Amino acid sequence: MATFATKRATTLAPTVRTLASGAPIAPRLNLAARGQASEHDHDHGHSESSRSDIRPRWAGGVTFSAAGLVSKTVTTVHSPAFQPRLIHTSVANKDAPQVPDYSKYRTDPGSNRALSYFMVGSLGVLSASAAKSSISEFLQTMAASADVLALAKVEVDLSTIPEGKNVIIKWRGKPVFIRHRTQSEVDEARAVDWKSLRDPQSDEDRVQKPEWLVMLGVCTHLGCVPIGEAGDFGGWFCPCHGSHYDISGRARKGPAPLNLEVPAYEFTDGDGKVIIG
Amino acid sequence: MSLSTGIYNTLFKRNSVFVGTIFAGAFLFGVGFDTATTTFWERWNKGKLWKDIRHKYVTDAEE
Amino acid sequence: MLSRLTAGAFKKVASFGASRSSTLFSGSRAASARFASTKASSSAFESLANSRAAFASASLFTVGSIAWYTHLYGTLPFVGKVHASHLSDEGLHPSAYPWSHKGPLDSFDHASIRRGYQVYREVCAACHSLDRIAWRNLVGVSHTADEARAMAEEVEYMDGPDAQGEMFQRPGKLADYMPAPYPNEEAARSGNAGALPPDLSLIVKARHGGADYIFSLLTGYIDPPAGVEIRDGMNYNPYFPGGAISMARVLFDGLVEYEDGTPATTSQMAKDVVTFLNWAAEPEHDERKQYGIKAVIIFSTLFWISLYVKRFKWGPIKNRKIFYNPPNNTH
Repeated sequence: MATFATKRATTLAPTVRTLASGAPIAPRLNLAARGQASEHDHDHGHSESSRSDIRPRWAGGVTFSAAGLVSKTVTTVHSPAFQPRLIHTSVANKDAPQVPDYSKYRTDPGSNRALSYFMVGSLGVLSASAAKSSISEFLQTMAASADVLALAKVEVDLSTIPEGKNVIIKWRGKPVFIRHRTQSEVDEARAVDWKSLRDPQSDEDRVQKPEWLVMLGVCTHLGCVPIGEAGDFGGWFCPCHGSHYDISGRARKGPAPLNLEVPAYEFTDGDGKVIIG
Repeated sequence: MSLSTGIYNTLFKRNSVFVGTIFAGAFLFGVGFDTATTTFWERWNKGKLWKDIRHKYVTDAEE
Repeated sequence: MLSRLTAGAFKKVASFGASRSSTLFSGSRAASARFASTKASSSAFESLANSRAAFASASLFTVGSIAWYTHLYGTLPFVGKVHASHLSDEGLHPSAYPWSHKGPLDSFDHASIRRGYQVYREVCAACHSLDRIAWRNLVGVSHTADEARAMAEEVEYMDGPDAQGEMFQRPGKLADYMPAPYPNEEAARSGNAGALPPDLSLIVKARHGGADYIFSLLTGYIDPPAGVEIRDGMNYNPYFPGGAISMARVLFDGLVEYEDGTPATTSQMAKDVVTFLNWAAEPEHDERKQYGIKAVIIFSTLFWISLYVKRFKWGPIKNRKIFYNPPNNTH
């Protein structure tokens, strides 16, 4: 345990004493000595402080003022703790500065090392875990809300669509074409040499089941809705700028640069429905 | 070699290993803590949760 | 010189607590004035704090604040208002009931939510809407997806426009919201003698007392006591502010038949429907409490560990000593 010095009394040589009148006297110090007269002192009028022939103002005395002669006596209120030796410039002599004892703060680096690192590591583990949760929760607020997601899927009953007919449904504000293709239409779509087309894509890539063609009814040129069972290729025809699509929805003629887009969809097992989205 | 020294030498001595341990620990802790609190929640509220009464209303195996 | 005297007293008290040596210095104002002053800065603050200007400005500020408050709100601050109303105008205070979801760790009783939905559908839905709850919200809470889909398909919803620009009716889907009994507020008012049946989506949050209040209201219909007159078409309920409520008592024993065989007493139905309405107001309730458990554990642990780590990091700093070894001049 470290030893810290306590305050120790030191006897100091008295430098200044005060009389009962309040005037200081110093045995070894000539307070009556006049300060060096300077040219500046006269100019500023502040030389009074260093003049020994005038009693200092705090010592009281008789002064002449506008109200007449004023006699001022400074009394010293006697206090039991009065000490004559108080004006000095020396500091208390101490062996060491007084500091509180913080030795209980010390950790033994040998025995507590693993524990300390474990605690620091645990702090990191918990903080990282909390930060990860906060960030992932925050990112989830940017995802689509539940009511939007509930509308994002559309279920269509395919049993009501006869063969060779188109059905247009709305999905996320856009029309979706569903065509129940006949076998001859499927054969026609697959007989085309698709590698020479503008947007080469085979019919097999565009459908999941050959008889069901599902695609977005938005012309890839400027976004009109094409008309079904029309055009030069027996598929769709866009009335805005004359784009022709074949029975697989591929752009064949006109300004359309791409085939009609196929959305994500899946057939349900057994009950003959398709879920778009 | 005591246990604490062993742990110190394997996990804490190199800072890269230490930081790696922290991140791996955070991942494992996240999974384990989720599981633990969920288990506690389901045990504390046994019989009140939907998973406890769901079997009464599910008719076929589809749901 | 009142202010100067108090300044001296203030200084004496302050320095006495600080250290004994300074008490010796400033044993009294007059004594300390004789010695070299070591407290120039603090006495400047004291003289400002004790000055008449400070006192006057603080008094003015206080009076001005009170006047401003009184002007703004019409009453003096911290003085209770005198009401000319009776306590019955506030409604009887509902007692606290031991809800199954009351504790910080308790989830909703989902079987009760399911029964409560049945009560709502068969009783409350005749007048009250539930606008903010969709069929999909019931899935995984009180009903399976198939049940919810079947219930939704029993309701016709207006949809459209179709390819011809016509609106059409179609069976409901999971994404549709609960159907309202009245098409608009005017129809609801005219059907209920001018009183609007409130939407029940957030009713538990929207009333003082919450679930306790709704339960007390549903089960609290009694005959008006002597001296209380209730107009025709109104009903007496001590829990309703004012006592006279347009809604009549609707829950009677055996009104519904629960599918799980629970006896349908009035209080059972009220409890179930209030649990359902509480879920409707707080669908996030169960998840929220799970997060609460996690957050309390994590953050309290973090707090204690951080105390340890702080102490660990400050140990060397607080125990550090700086020594000055004078250079040895003796060659």
